[in-house]
Amino acid sequence: MPGPEAKPLRWDDGLWEELARSTDAPLCYQCGSCTATCPLAEGGKLNVRQLVRLGGFGDGVKGSGPELPGLWSCTTCAQCNAGCPRGVDVVEVIRYLRARGWRRNDVPPGLRPLLWAEFQDGNPYRMPPSQRATWTRGLSGAAAGSTDGATTVLYVGCTSSYDPRAQRTARAVARLLAAAGVPFRLLGNEELCCGETPRALGVDGMFRELSARTSEQLRKLGTSRVVTISPHCFDALRAGLSREVEVLHYSQLLDELLSSGKLKVGGERAGTVTYHDPCYLGRHHGVYDPPRRLLESAGAKLVEMPRSRRWALCCGGGGGNMWRESEAEGRLADARVVEAKGTGAPVLATSCPFCVTCFQGAEGAGKGRLEIVDVAEVVARAAGVPG
Amino acid sequence: MRTVVCLKVVPRPEEVRVDTETKTLDRSGVRSVVNPSDLTALEIALALRDRHGGRVTVLSMGPPSFVPYLRVALAVGADDAVLLSDRAFGGADTLATSYTLAQGVRALGGAELVVCGDESSDGGTSQVPPGLAEWLGYAQATYVDRLELPGPGTLRARRVLEDGTETLDVPLPAVVSVLGGASEVRFLDYDRWAAAQEATVNVIDASALGGDPGAIGLKGSPTVVAGLREVRKPGRRHEVIRLEPEAAATRIAEELRRLGLPPREAPSPAPPDAPTT
Amino acid sequence: MTGPGGVWVYAERRGTAFRPVSLEILGRARGVADALGERLVALTAVPAEGAVHDLARFGADEVVGLVHPLLDRYDTRVHTDLLEREVRAGAPSVLFLGASRDGQDLAGRLAVRLRTGLTAHVTSVEVDPGHRLVGWVPGFGGGIEAGIVCPDRRPAIVTVRPGVFPLPAAGAARSAVRLVRPTIEAGSFGSRRVAFEPKGDTTDLTRSDVLVVGGRGTDGEFGRLQQLAHRLGGEVGATRVATDAGWIDRDRMIGQTGVVTHPKVAVILGASGAVQFTVGIEKAGFVIAVNRDPDAPIFDAADLGVVGDLAPIVDRLVKVLEGA
Repeated sequence: MPGPEAKPLRWDDGLWEELARSTDAPLCYQCGSCTATCPLAEGGKLNVRQLVRLGGFGDGVKGSGPELPGLWSCTTCAQCNAGCPRGVDVVEVIRYLRARGWRRNDVPPGLRPLLWAEFQDGNPYRMPPSQRATWTRGLSGAAAGSTDGATTVLYVGCTSSYDPRAQRTARAVARLLAAAGVPFRLLGNEELCCGETPRALGVDGMFRELSARTSEQLRKLGTSRVVTISPHCFDALRAGLSREVEVLHYSQLLDELLSSGKLKVGGERAGTVTYHDPCYLGRHHGVYDPPRRLLESAGAKLVEMPRSRRWALCCGGGGGNMWRESEAEGRLADARVVEAKGTGAPVLATSCPFCVTCFQGAEGAGKGRLEIVDVAEVVARAAGVPG
Repeated sequence: MRTVVCLKVVPRPEEVRVDTETKTLDRSGVRSVVNPSDLTALEIALALRDRHGGRVTVLSMGPPSFVPYLRVALAVGADDAVLLSDRAFGGADTLATSYTLAQGVRALGGAELVVCGDESSDGGTSQVPPGLAEWLGYAQATYVDRLELPGPGTLRARRVLEDGTETLDVPLPAVVSVLGGASEVRFLDYDRWAAAQEATVNVIDASALGGDPGAIGLKGSPTVVAGLREVRKPGRRHEVIRLEPEAAATRIAEELRRLGLPPREAPSPAPPDAPTT
Repeated sequence: MTGPGGVWVYAERRGTAFRPVSLEILGRARGVADALGERLVALTAVPAEGAVHDLARFGADEVVGLVHPLLDRYDTRVHTDLLEREVRAGAPSVLFLGASRDGQDLAGRLAVRLRTGLTAHVTSVEVDPGHRLVGWVPGFGGGIEAGIVCPDRRPAIVTVRPGVFPLPAAGAARSAVRLVRPTIEAGSFGSRRVAFEPKGDTTDLTRSDVLVVGGRGTDGEFGRLQQLAHRLGGEVGATRVATDAGWIDRDRMIGQTGVVTHPKVAVILGASGAVQFTVGIEKAGFVIAVNRDPDAPIFDAADLGVVGDLAPIVDRLVKVLEGA
């Protein structure tokens, strides 16, 4: 309930029309299921239903603009989408409202420098492009992506290129593909950011520009298939690249190779593992089984967390939160690690570099050890090609 | 109000390599960016324009390769962009550079406010803004993090000094140098970015600029590089270990103890407040 | 305007003391003046006579004090005009100024006023066999230094950053003192001071014996660095990345365009060791570095390098030190 100091809200037909054109917001009948399922709704920090409603109120008159509380805390986990009875793409509404924020230069501190880093350095880590391929150190032959004529590109992504922990996953995937006899090439220092962060933050122009440049790059190389390490890159490239290029997450390709017998997994057996569905692989794209099959093939005994598959709890890293000191990241990751430990499994496996980073950060907060691994690393160990 | 923002394009620091044999800088394959504190200067100028109206022009001195960076400034919101470009401007030290930029400001018909970044990240020395002010005969305020226009003809500038912040009123026209990081820089607008690719960037050469040909470029530079030498670094032990946090901490503590740390006297009860922004 | 009119050092007074950088330069300038065969003059502008005599124990041949009650604060116009007048009258060969903020505000303007060369932020100076003053400045990218000379114009103006030269102790011998009482009135000022807020934190990293420095790898969490610094009786510094990201004040930035420090011990956490940073710390007595990346260049600049996550290591280290 707005208090006595609340500014009067003023409906703006123009803004509402724009919202209606750009999103499914008109379908919303304000049932509140989205808020009910949102992991950040606790304490009123993020009220998704209200955001969709407020989207129609404008600030054409000074002092009447509504605030959109929690708009920037959203991790775009799409739990709201999963719960919406009308099938509204609520995440798209969030992105649209964020875009409006950028137009008005009304965004929280820390995001402008992040976008400038993307613009100037081509990645959110402020790392030089000239160091993008250093993760390949130690790889040789086919695993180093040296197959020139290959029509499959292993798209590494900024995190797996620059973050030492995530680089291990990249090496594991590269070695697995080579072991399965899948020729692939790497884009090396020329690989561009997929643009998932600008997209999630509502800076669509940058996302589209990056997608266009990557599309052109792949067209020149004759690429027909792109395999990504990160589900975020998977989602962004799927949304941004031209239709002719097939985009897969590595778990989907490795799963195919496993069932066709091209990938042999028989070595070191994994123990009891609980698998965390990354939002951008699971809920956003319905890819739940391939990573599980891969873990089982590696001898893992899977135990499910109470919230899994479509209802998996977000790690807190999406929606631009990876690069902000945000409460969201900390709280969600902590809660998820507690849930994982509750299964009794000593290993929490996932298939997203953001999730791995968030859980590792939370790990220190908990007592007792919980090993955080990427599915690729488990499979690589079992296939005898460790990272 | 007419504001001119002086902008410089600098190489990305980590990408410049030193060829220790030829003792030259290898800038091949080096990316460039708009000098970070110049972007802050642009933001401050645009914020003033948001509140008080007027025009913001970006001015730069450099080769034609600077043009795309001026377009970035247009996409952020500058109204127009001017590049002073001529081989004759090359090799300039701060005296000649500030002279040339001052001529640029004059060519634009003068300005009420000239805003620059406080220093450039390629080893800049922050000497251009005060020099520019002297050539133009304008007032100056350096190391500023906040600007206001309290009344006609007066600029109120908050300077950040070593021991505190000083708020000064200076008369317009004035040259201001702005601290990088004083304000977040609004991100560029992609619609404006598209338009900026087609926009005309006015390029002015030495003859069009006029002024004293002896005061520009190498000729106008009283300082010269007489020689280069390698920097000798102190020898280091270069011991590298990789241990679990527990063991690593113990090892570091041992080394610190050997160095006499922590000091014998107990520190004051509570750590001071973090001077974070 | 040719010399030999002397080597002048402009000493900046701040409250009840001279800025350390001014004294550091005065200490070094004695050798420069001797090598050039010229007189060493310390010049200052102060509100009261007493301060001038404080300057007389640092080895100058003469101390010139410009004294006027209105000189209790720095003003660009007043100080540029004053120094211009003195310089034109005395025709020095060299004029040194400390690269404090006001010092740079003044030096840049004065150099153009006098149409002369300015060599800024030197890391060392020497007089070459040709009797020229050479100011060495770091070449962009580090690893090399460029020697700058001002062959023709006079005075050659040179600015020096704090901490570059050692701070001399006051000596027994006293310089000759000459007092000048310029005419200054309200109209001489180019600015009007509306307010001055002293800063609570007047940390001078160049004076610290122990520095705990954070870079990109801290992810903005400087709390644990503060604790470690406090435990070790030191101060917290940062790399450019950390200050650009807004995690900590610009004043804490160490490096080529920040401060050059020479602590006895430096603990560098989560910094890759780009040379623009290491130039600010390479004079440290002992360097400990922690970084997740075994190939980070910081390990080339460290005595003891630890590959690992800084957060758990620092947290643990603080506990270990508390138990000590």
